Amino acid sequence: MIMKDLNKFEKFFTEYTELRMQENRNIRLTMVNGDMMGNNRSSNSGISARVYKGGSWGFASNADISDEAIIKVIKSATENANFLSSRENLNKADLPKTNAINSKDFSTTKPRKSQKEMIDFLGAIDAYITKEFPKLSSRTIVIANLDMEKKLFTSDGAESYSMIPRTILYVVMTITKNEQPFELYEVYGGLGQFEDTFNQPETLFPKLNEQFNHLKNKSEGVYPQAGMHDCILDADLAGILAHEAIGHTTEGDIVKGGSVAGDYFGDKVASELVTLVDFAHTSLGEQCPVPVYVDDEGTKAEDAVIIKDGILKKFMHNKETALHFGHEVTGNARASGFSDEPLVRMRNTAILPGKSKLEDMITSIEDGYYLMKSSSGQADSTSEFMFGVVMGYEIKNGKLGKAIKDTTISGIAFDMLKTVTMISDDMVWSCSGMCGKKQMIPVGMGGPAIKCQVNIGGK
Amino acid sequence: MNNKEILIYARDTLLKAGAQKTKCILTKREKNELNVVSGEISLFRTTFDTNLSLTAIIDDKRGSVSINKLDKENIEATAKQIVEMAISSKPDKANDIAENQPAKEFYGEPVKPDLDKMYTRLVEFVKYAEENHPKTIIRMINFDFTSTHSMFINSNGVDYSITKGIYNFVVVFTSKEGKKTSSFNYVAHVSKDLNTPFSECGNIDKLITESVQQLNAESFQGKFVGDVIVTPECMDNFIGSLTRYLYDYPLITKTSVYKDKLEKQIASNNFNLHSKPVSNDIAEGYFVTGDGYEAQDSTVIENGILKTFLLGLYGANKTGEARAVNQGGSWEIDNGEKSFDEIVKSTKKGIILNRFSGGNPSDNGDFSGVAKNSYYVENGKIQFPITETMISGNLVEMMMNIKEISKERVNSGYHNYPWIKFTGITISGK
Repeated sequence: MIMKDLNKFEKFFTEYTELRMQENRNIRLTMVNGDMMGNNRSSNSGISARVYKGGSWGFASNADISDEAIIKVIKSATENANFLSSRENLNKADLPKTNAINSKDFSTTKPRKSQKEMIDFLGAIDAYITKEFPKLSSRTIVIANLDMEKKLFTSDGAESYSMIPRTILYVVMTITKNEQPFELYEVYGGLGQFEDTFNQPETLFPKLNEQFNHLKNKSEGVYPQAGMHDCILDADLAGILAHEAIGHTTEGDIVKGGSVAGDYFGDKVASELVTLVDFAHTSLGEQCPVPVYVDDEGTKAEDAVIIKDGILKKFMHNKETALHFGHEVTGNARASGFSDEPLVRMRNTAILPGKSKLEDMITSIEDGYYLMKSSSGQADSTSEFMFGVVMGYEIKNGKLGKAIKDTTISGIAFDMLKTVTMISDDMVWSCSGMCGKKQMIPVGMGGPAIKCQVNIGGK
Repeated sequence: MNNKEILIYARDTLLKAGAQKTKCILTKREKNELNVVSGEISLFRTTFDTNLSLTAIIDDKRGSVSINKLDKENIEATAKQIVEMAISSKPDKANDIAENQPAKEFYGEPVKPDLDKMYTRLVEFVKYAEENHPKTIIRMINFDFTSTHSMFINSNGVDYSITKGIYNFVVVFTSKEGKKTSSFNYVAHVSKDLNTPFSECGNIDKLITESVQQLNAESFQGKFVGDVIVTPECMDNFIGSLTRYLYDYPLITKTSVYKDKLEKQIASNNFNLHSKPVSNDIAEGYFVTGDGYEAQDSTVIENGILKTFLLGLYGANKTGEARAVNQGGSWEIDNGEKSFDEIVKSTKKGIILNRFSGGNPSDNGDFSGVAKNSYYVENGKIQFPITETMISGNLVEMMMNIKEISKERVNSGYHNYPWIKFTGITISGK
């Protein structure tokens, strides 16, 4: 637990300075076919300082959190800023001043489970899978927990403490048919430590049954037909679309770096059915998967309504990009570890629900696909995106048909969003999003199902 | 306590707490980094990282913890925690540590950065880009020197010390003209010195020049089965996917497409793949594997024949196959006989694949993804840069369908790759 008072180091600040103490704690338990292949914990903590001078930044960090080490880190970051500033002479204006004060702790209040209890939990899941699905050729179950604890103090007077935990259970099932392995993974869990995320293993059994049935269907599935199709992207894919294809292109630093979104500000970029928001901590009255109340520059985190009724309205900013564009800060500066500098990052990005029912959306398609689950996603400065699809079904004459084998979808997001004709009235958050823009950091992604036209890979 | 004393104290504390076998690794890393954002040198970063990784095995049960606080109190508490974790686990006879080997110290120059030269080289590159490629935005450069000092001991007497340093340079760029934006591209280069300007390293200048051409990328209708010439910068996508099948997890779970292919043909005859972690040919290597064995260079695929899996100690014990002499990476592919130009000339219909945006192939090798920063080739000539183009195929079949390998190679410091032409790939436009 980070208890250190950082205010006392203010006297060592000579320029705009952020002082952040952080500890990331991980648990990772991996059971492969009943064997404990991994039984690991880690803890990584330390102090960092970031200093701004006329457009140049200096950064320094150290695992040592003694008073002497903290003073040294502040001095070293200041020297680095001075070094760059004296050579680059960027002469930029002062950063916007923000001084949010907040404390948020999502630690469990329940008695902590021991390692043995967590391993027994894995064992119970494994025993159920082994008993119920004997046709599986392989099974892997992983518990992954990350507790991210931060304390921030800035020369603007911002003070923040947060402890944001996330616990995920991955279940990978493999079935072999005609000597070909077929795999399907599913992720359960979300915000909270293990005790608040998982209760009895039995509560997961219905979901495991569903996962196995989808895998069985996939092993008997067909290749999709390559080309443009009417498709329904379920919440998982709508979430990754919101994050990868739109979210990244509208991050302030990426816009500054030439993203096509810079040319579309204020323009219609999507069907009027589409509203896309990067939520700070609360969405539609519910807690988001990765709540951020104060960002790592000491700015109060606000929702960024990026697309409103189809119009591109806002970019996400840290102080520097807000200054550059003359926009308001949005509280999107986030750092992954204590030795990482804050970057413009998303928090919880989602398309808002519409008014349609998923069943009606499926009925409305004569020949297309219902795409349910993604494996990965990438996007470009042009908003061209690619998502791996690992679970989906054909739609024939308004009804679900055969399952499809793994494929990829692609398109230009700002074109594709104009083809959206229906959005479902529900909303599902993905609980395991990780974003790898220089530093790996947890993010929330979510949405309803959307009906659109998309290019699908296949034979 | 000095580093060695910390490590010995950790090992002895673990043994005293009840561990029967232990593995202890202490790593200290100093990084000096300069960042460019949107063409401006904007950040100078100095970080000191420490990691103490401790593993205990008790009655074939294993537990591991890594920490970065090295005081005696924390080491003692951690040792107690690891022993409890191991006792809570399940026995697995495959859990083991490396056997005793002669103690050794490894030293990879340079170990200290030349900060003035780092700054000069970066300023020089930013200026080069501004002057030679005014339509290109240097979106980001991460340029650092990382020096690492690691020590590895275990309860069988393994005792290694490694000191090394390396310069890492990654540049991401996009071109812009009016409302036209090109796909971003990136190049990574690592080196042990700063003797060469970055604009002259590998294909950096060529790729930035092409980025400007790609402002006018065109899409095409329909699909065809044709040739794909994979560039050295894009090759690691496919080598990474290929070698992924050779590690512990897919072989233990028997999901690897190559599980029964040792000493069998898995690629065309002209394909040779080496892993060279200790060779001077590849700047970014390693001296000791994660299990605690001195690494050796190896040939993984020779004339298309799979010569070794990439199993670690646990995977080898679990599968009954031989442990690999390294953990892969630092890849080098033997060059061929034809020049890149000759390969293009002999191509009837296909694309040059500069970057691939796609996920890992399925367990059976099927893959599909988007061809980025790529070019359409017809009748032996590069025609135009392409956009909205997907490729799909099967990696296992693709490796058996290598048509030509270039005599030129690009050594990025991570890998040394030629251009390779694969046939029979489905290429589809809009």
